[in-house]
Amino acid sequence: MSERLEAPSDPEHSPEGEPSPEPVAWRHRHLLDVDALSKDELELVMRTADEMRDVLRRPIPRVPALRGRSMTILFYEASTRTRVSFEVAAKNLSADVVNISAATSSITKGESLVDTVRTVEALGADLLVLRHPVAGAPYLAANLFGGSVLNAGDGWHAHPTQALLDLYTMRSRLPGGTVADRKVVILGDVLHSRVARSNIWSLTAAGADLWLCGPPPLLRGFDAWARRGAAAGRRFTVTSSVTEALRDADVVMALRIQRERMTGGLLPSLREYAARYGLTSERLALARPGALVMHPGPMNEGVEIAPDVAAGAQSAITDQVTNGVAIRMAVLHLLAGSGA
Amino acid sequence: MTAEVLPRLAVGERVAGLEISGAWLVDPTSGREGPADIVVSDGAVEAVAWLDGADADGIGPDGIVVAPGLTDLHAHFREPGNEDAETVASGCAAAAHGGFTTVCLMPNTDPPLDEPGVLGRVLAAASASGSPVRVLAYGCVSARRAGEQLAALGELADAGVAGFSDDGSPTRSAAVFRSALAYAASLGLPIVEHAEDLPMTEGAEASDGLVATILGLRGSPASAEAVAVARALAILAEVAVDEPAARLHLTHLSTRAALDLVRRARAAGLPVTCDVTPHHLALTDEWIAGSRRWAWDGAEDRSAAPYDPSLRVNPPLRSRDDAAACLEALLDGTVDAIATDHAPHTAVDKHVEFGLAANGISGIETTLGLVLAAVDAGRLPLLRAIKALTVGPAGVLGAHAGRRPGLVVGEPADLVVFDRSDRWTVTPATLLSRGKNSPLLGLEVPGRVLLTVVGGRLAYVAE
Repeated sequence: MSERLEAPSDPEHSPEGEPSPEPVAWRHRHLLDVDALSKDELELVMRTADEMRDVLRRPIPRVPALRGRSMTILFYEASTRTRVSFEVAAKNLSADVVNISAATSSITKGESLVDTVRTVEALGADLLVLRHPVAGAPYLAANLFGGSVLNAGDGWHAHPTQALLDLYTMRSRLPGGTVADRKVVILGDVLHSRVARSNIWSLTAAGADLWLCGPPPLLRGFDAWARRGAAAGRRFTVTSSVTEALRDADVVMALRIQRERMTGGLLPSLREYAARYGLTSERLALARPGALVMHPGPMNEGVEIAPDVAAGAQSAITDQVTNGVAIRMAVLHLLAGSGA
Repeated sequence: MTAEVLPRLAVGERVAGLEISGAWLVDPTSGREGPADIVVSDGAVEAVAWLDGADADGIGPDGIVVAPGLTDLHAHFREPGNEDAETVASGCAAAAHGGFTTVCLMPNTDPPLDEPGVLGRVLAAASASGSPVRVLAYGCVSARRAGEQLAALGELADAGVAGFSDDGSPTRSAAVFRSALAYAASLGLPIVEHAEDLPMTEGAEASDGLVATILGLRGSPASAEAVAVARALAILAEVAVDEPAARLHLTHLSTRAALDLVRRARAAGLPVTCDVTPHHLALTDEWIAGSRRWAWDGAEDRSAAPYDPSLRVNPPLRSRDDAAACLEALLDGTVDAIATDHAPHTAVDKHVEFGLAANGISGIETTLGLVLAAVDAGRLPLLRAIKALTVGPAGVLGAHAGRRPGLVVGEPADLVVFDRSDRWTVTPATLLSRGKNSPLLGLEVPGRVLLTVVGGRLAYVAE
């Protein structure tokens, strides 16, 4: 077994602390979640992403930072944007990329994750990008893998690069360039959302006034988390009142609602969801003028978000995709530079 | 203390001579504990001398302790069907290492123990193992454990089962459960119920609560246990009117809500008993997030990696409040016994993603250690702990448990000797069970077992 994983952040640690004057060094071997990242470390990722965005603006957006490094993308769930985003990011940094998807590999013959990770390592991978439907799977992989593991989404648990690109997008678009004291609303199926969970850590660490809103069955358990968070200086409110949540919001992020939630008895119907919680232009009018609209994708337009809102002037949804490449380049660069 | 053991013996051999001088003897039958000398000769207890005055000087309850052999109401030995995880022989060796002299096995083997032939195989394996550990077994409540038709309850009773259980699952149909309770009453046997409302726990990975929410694990609510306990108690109340011999035992209760229901039912005179496991007493769901503090210890810590699949168990590890409720219910007598729910698994089934890992903890060898950790912390009197591991479970098993636990002069010796001051580290090598799926690997627990004797024969002796 390899070294201990990073422990989740100390609940006593105050995310409100001032950034230290010293430059922060990157001290993480893996990126399994954003819960272990301090405010200073989030700043470091953001600054590194700025540099990567400069690279992306060049005519040939390619630097040799990861030349000779090999990255394996191992996805046990269907994905387009995250997988391609990682691949583009790695290629921009001149890494070699191998793609394994569960459907075409010996995983369908019953090979376990443990064996697959060992195989990937034996084939020479330095970086492993893992998406898996079971929460915590990247922690198992990190325990076995000699290089760095990047969590590209595990069950309902975490999606750290999504949370980082969301923070980056908010900072890029909000006046003042900070989420501190900004009202950020995550609207929708919070219970099943790894995007929401990771965003809770990063947005509260960055000082946002975070609100979670959705139908009560899809907020189950989050009140207790909010109470715990408040004790540790993380501001975070849970409500099923969409009016209360959206009023004077600076950012509204809608989450995908899945059809399975109906068969599972959690919601009456998509129609009813859209009527009560869909992000329409009427509802968006409750937010501050010019409030940002975000969505981690893929969208069900007309359900959790109205098409005119998704494509409107306030939408930052395509920025999220572009910034995703810069953020993933930044993270790969930091991890590869950590000596893994 | 001094202990003079005999010529060197092999497991299964009669203990010709054993003198234990100046140990702390716990007699849960009389409720007496104190310094004593014990002499065993030709497998039988020859003398028990309580010491006082100068003879008792310096002998305390925190050193070498002698107690009647422990009884486990709930273990899985996986034979027949999954011998890679455990056999009856390896299970008996593990039990003896844990201080247990009697074990009662759950019938969810493959094939399940729903007809007498399977019981015969299990008992033959126990006999062939050479271990003197007493092996009892429950039969299934329902045929094939499918929850639809009654198993061969009468034939199983004739063959010698100690009760009936569909453990691993609840008895699915309430109608079948009601019939089984009444039928088993006529056979003088208890129904041992795993209380879980299945629709509420579908896909569950951990107890519903803050840890599950933060880690993104599918939650099993405490109410899923309480609902099932309420169902069982309501049916029991009705059946017991016509069948006064009806007996219900609720196994591995893990929530305050369920224990409160049992407390009220007992106060109302219902014939119900229950047990809790050592892991629901000592561990909490915070362990899944990386904590390694006992349930009764102060502030949480994060010293281990999250999602250790050895912590996946059903019922799931619960909150600190639920663990405290298990301890309170043990102290006030609502809980009769501590049962191991020893559930060994292979690495193939356990060294996988948390949510794909088989449920269960290999726990028969660490039960005494976890219980003694609670005793060390001042949360549980030693005598109460020993009662819950001896007379408590023996009372649930009734005549099947054999004679009452205790060191009785002239009767075969049935005892465990352990050293409370000797902490030992749990490792795959120190566990005799084939199931190395313990969340305690690498951790120290108090109370190394030095010697286990069953019916006058050696079951375990420390190197």
